Amino acid sequence: MANMKIKAKLKKEVIQVKVMAKHDMLTYDQAKKKGTDANFITHISATCNGKVVYDASTSQFWSKNPQFKFKFKGGAKGDMVEITWTDLLKNTVTESKKIK
Amino acid sequence: MDRRKFLNLSMFAMVAVPASLSAIDFRATKPDTWTAKTVKDAIKAQYGDIKTEENGVSVKAPSPAANGGAIPVTIKSDISAKTVALFQDANPEAAVAVFALAEGGIVDYTLKIKMKVTGKITAIVEGTDGKFYSGSIDIEVAKGGCEG
Repeated sequence: MANMKIKAKLKKEVIQVKVMAKHDMLTYDQAKKKGTDANFITHISATCNGKVVYDASTSQFWSKNPQFKFKFKGGAKGDMVEITWTDLLKNTVTESKKIK
Repeated sequence: MDRRKFLNLSMFAMVAVPASLSAIDFRATKPDTWTAKTVKDAIKAQYGDIKTEENGVSVKAPSPAANGGAIPVTIKSDISAKTVALFQDANPEAAVAVFALAEGGIVDYTLKIKMKVTGKITAIVEGTDGKFYSGSIDIEVAKGGCEG
């Protein structure tokens, strides 16, 4: 079902990560109109070498198919960045990507 | 963990186990933040009665935003931060996101948000020094993003 695209790049000791997650992010209003239940990502976290490098609690006001960027220090080329999101229905998706 | 095992596990995990990686889930620890209708109430629910200094935090977004369904917002700050929270006053509820930072984390987040009408985006940075800093931007929205 759901999926995400990740890009992770090392630049001057800082790793830049770009993520595009696939999710409808239905707000309560939108869901009412469609006659379905609201569902949106409620938590996103990223880890690198077992350390949490990104941790966001989110609301329904992120855009559909949310895209986000963040930076962190303390990783090297070839390390894996692992990103997990959880939505309102407790679905979780985890994807990982090597740092370039 | 080898990949095959991992994939199998993740399939089952969808049903049973919630994400265990999360450092802090503010939806669980501060549930009032997410139902607060105004920015003021949301900040109060998240941090309590605080005074913020209006400097040190930059919030950037295009204005007018052509598509209210996906407005790219960038929050930047050099402050050594514990948490960063993002609010807006255009939607039914105020909270958009709360980030928790690990030690040495960099406050440089970009995300796309939805806004129903023209409004103001406010970012609050909780510094490791115990002080609060804020930054905000007014955004004109040409076409609302919550109508679907």
